[in-house]
Amino acid sequence: MLKISQLIIERDGKQLSYDFRLEEGKILAIQGLSGVGKTTLLSAIAGFVESIEGLISWQGDSLNSLPVEQRPVSYLFQEHNLFEHLSVIENLSLGFSGVAPKAQIVEATVVLQVADQLEKRPRELSGGQRQRVALIRTLLRPEPLVLLDEPFAELDPKTRAIATEWVRDTAKLLGKTVLMVTHQSEDVDRVADESLVLEC
Amino acid sequence: MKKRVPMRVAGWSSLFLIVLITVLAFQGLIGFSESGPDWALLNDSYFHSILVFSLKQALLSALLSVVLAWPIARTLYYLPNVPALNSFLSLCLLCFVMPTLVLITGLVVLAGQAEWSLYGLNGILLAHIYLNMPFAIRVFYQQLKGIPDSSWKLSAQLKLSHWQRLRIIEWPSLRGTSLMLFGFIFVLCFNSFAIVLALGGGPQSTTLEVAIYQALKYDFNIPEALMLAWVQLLIAGGLFLMVSRMGSANWLSVDTASDEWTPQAKGWRSWLMKSSYYLVWLVLLLPILALLFGLIQGDFSRMSLASLIKPTLITVSLGLFSAVIGMALAYAMLNPIRQMNSLGQTRRRVFFEWLATHALVAPAMVVSVGLFIFLLQRIDIDRWGIVFVAILNTSIVVPFAVQKLKPRLYQFDAQYGDLSRSLKLQGWVLWKIEWPFIKSAFFSTFALILVLSMGDVAIFSIFGSKEWTTLPWLIYEYAGTYRMVEASLASMLLLALCALILWLFEKAQTPHA
Repeated sequence: MLKISQLIIERDGKQLSYDFRLEEGKILAIQGLSGVGKTTLLSAIAGFVESIEGLISWQGDSLNSLPVEQRPVSYLFQEHNLFEHLSVIENLSLGFSGVAPKAQIVEATVVLQVADQLEKRPRELSGGQRQRVALIRTLLRPEPLVLLDEPFAELDPKTRAIATEWVRDTAKLLGKTVLMVTHQSEDVDRVADESLVLEC
Repeated sequence: MKKRVPMRVAGWSSLFLIVLITVLAFQGLIGFSESGPDWALLNDSYFHSILVFSLKQALLSALLSVVLAWPIARTLYYLPNVPALNSFLSLCLLCFVMPTLVLITGLVVLAGQAEWSLYGLNGILLAHIYLNMPFAIRVFYQQLKGIPDSSWKLSAQLKLSHWQRLRIIEWPSLRGTSLMLFGFIFVLCFNSFAIVLALGGGPQSTTLEVAIYQALKYDFNIPEALMLAWVQLLIAGGLFLMVSRMGSANWLSVDTASDEWTPQAKGWRSWLMKSSYYLVWLVLLLPILALLFGLIQGDFSRMSLASLIKPTLITVSLGLFSAVIGMALAYAMLNPIRQMNSLGQTRRRVFFEWLATHALVAPAMVVSVGLFIFLLQRIDIDRWGIVFVAILNTSIVVPFAVQKLKPRLYQFDAQYGDLSRSLKLQGWVLWKIEWPFIKSAFFSTFALILVLSMGDVAIFSIFGSKEWTTLPWLIYEYAGTYRMVEASLASMLLLALCALILWLFEKAQTPHA
C-alpha cells in the first residue's frame, strides 16, 4: 500500500498538504485546477521534491529519506522524457536494471502504433508519438509504483482510446500501482479505479 | 527587408577585406619571384623531416591538451563548490591568451632553476600544452554546463549507472566539441611560431612556419618559402575545413535555468578530482611564480621603469585598435553567414566560415612578409609600418572573434530567429533585443582578442621599428641579450596588464539573458 500521511510541501511560498492511501495494484486518477499541486505530489513521491513534514511510505517502508535512485518508482514527466540524441529503441531500453525486455517492448510499440519509429530520433516523432514511446518505457520498467503526469495530453481521440486501454491492461497484468494526473474525466472513467480531486 | 541591406553590405565588405589581405600578401610573394614555388623540395629529406616534426608536435600537443583537460573539466563540473573555481577559470583563460614570450621567459627561468633542458620536442610540447590545455578545460566545462537539468533528472529517474551517464549524457555532449577542439589546437600548434623558434632548433625540431621564416630571413629564398607556405596552408586549412564540417552542433542547445539535479562527486572520486584540481593549479602557476621569484632576486640597477611606459602605451593602443575593428569586422561578416545557417545552406556556410577564419591557417609569417614585399615599392614602410602592424594584427584576431561570437549568435537565431521574423523586428529594434543576449559573449570576446593582439611578436618582427617598440618586442630584445631580470619584469608587467583586462571584462559581464 502507498500511504501519504499528513504530507506538507512548500512550493512558491504556498503550503500544499496531502493525505490519502492507495491499495497495491490500484490506479488512482488525480485531478484539480492548475497550480493546485498535482505534479508536486508526483515529484515528492519520486523524490525530486522534499517535504516539510509528513510521511510517504510504500509497503510499510518510509520513502522520505531515500534518494531518487533508490525509490521503487517509474515516473513519466510532463515533458523531457526522451534523450534527443538516442534512437527510440535506445531510449526504450533504458531504466531496466538488467537486459531490457525486448519482446515486451516491441509488442507494446505495435499496440501503440509506434513500431515503425524505433530507429528514428525523438525529434523526428510527433508529440503524440513521443508521449506513447515514453509511456511504454514507464509502464514496462520493473518498478511497482508508476507515476504518470498527464500521459495522454498530446493524443488524438482514437489513439487516446488505444493508449488508455493499454495502460489499464498493462498495469493490471503487471500488478502496478499507478498514480495518474489528468484533466480529462474520460481518462478517469477509462483507466482509474479511484479518483482524488485536489483543492486549494 | 530593406533595412537589412546595409548590414549585409558591411558583412560582405568585411569578408572581402580580410581575404584581400591574404591575396595581396600572396600576390606580393608570387610577383616578386618569377620561378614560383620550388616544388622540387617535395623530394628533399629536409622538407620531409620538418613536415613530420610539424605534424608530430601538433598531433601530440593537441591530443595531450584535450585528453588532460577532460578530467579537470569534469572536476569543475562535478565539484561546483571546489574553492576558487572562478579564479581557476580566469587563470585558464589567462594561460591561453598569455603572450608566448611571457610563457617562454617563465619556463626558461623555471627550467634554469630546476636545471632541466627545455629545448626540443619536450619543451615545445610543454609550452603548447601549457597554453592550450587550460583553454580546452574551459571549453569542456562550458559544454558540460550546457547539459540540461532535465537530462540529469531523467537519468536519476531511470537509475542510470555512472558508466551509463558517461556514455549517454556526458560523452554525446562533448563528442562534437572534442573533435573541433582537437582540430583547433592542432592548427594553432601546427602554425606555432614563437615557441618553436625559441625552444626548437635544427631540422629535427623545426616546424613549417619557422622554416618559412628561416627561408625568408636567412636566404631570402622566396620559391622555398612559397612552397612551404602552400603545404602549410593546404594541411592546416584542409584539416580545419574537415573538423568544421565534422564537429556536430551541440545537441543540448536550449539553456536551462536550473542545475538542481547535476550530480556531485562523492567519496574517492571527489578526493581524486580535488587532488588533480590542486595539482593543475600549481602547475599553471609555476611559470608565473618563477618569474616573480626571478624578480625578487633580481638587480634592477641597470633598468629604469620609465623605459617601460612608452612600449606599454603603444601595446595597449595597438591592442585596442585591433580589438575594436576586429569585433566590428567579425560581427559584420557573421551577418551573411548567419543567414546561410538559418536557410540551411550548409556547404556555403562552411565555406564562408572558413574564409572568415582563414587567417588562422594562413601562415602569419607568409602574410606579413608577402604584404611587406607587396607594399615595399608602393609606400614608405618605415613611416607607415606601425599601421600595418595594427591592420595585420586585426586580421589575425578576427578568426578568434568569429569563432567565439558565432555559437551565441547561432543560438539567438535558433531560439528567436523565427519569432523575430514573424514580429517583423529589424535594424535597431532587433539589435536592442539581440544585444542583451550576446552582450556577455561580446565582452568576453573583446577582452580575449584585445589580450591576444597585445601579445604579437611575429608581425612586429617584420613591420615594426625601434621607434614603436611594443612590450612583447622589448621582452624579446631583453631575452635575446640575456637580460633575464629585465625580461622578467617586462613579462610580469605584460602579464599583469592581460590579467587586469580579463578580470575587468569578466567582472563587467552579466549573466546570459
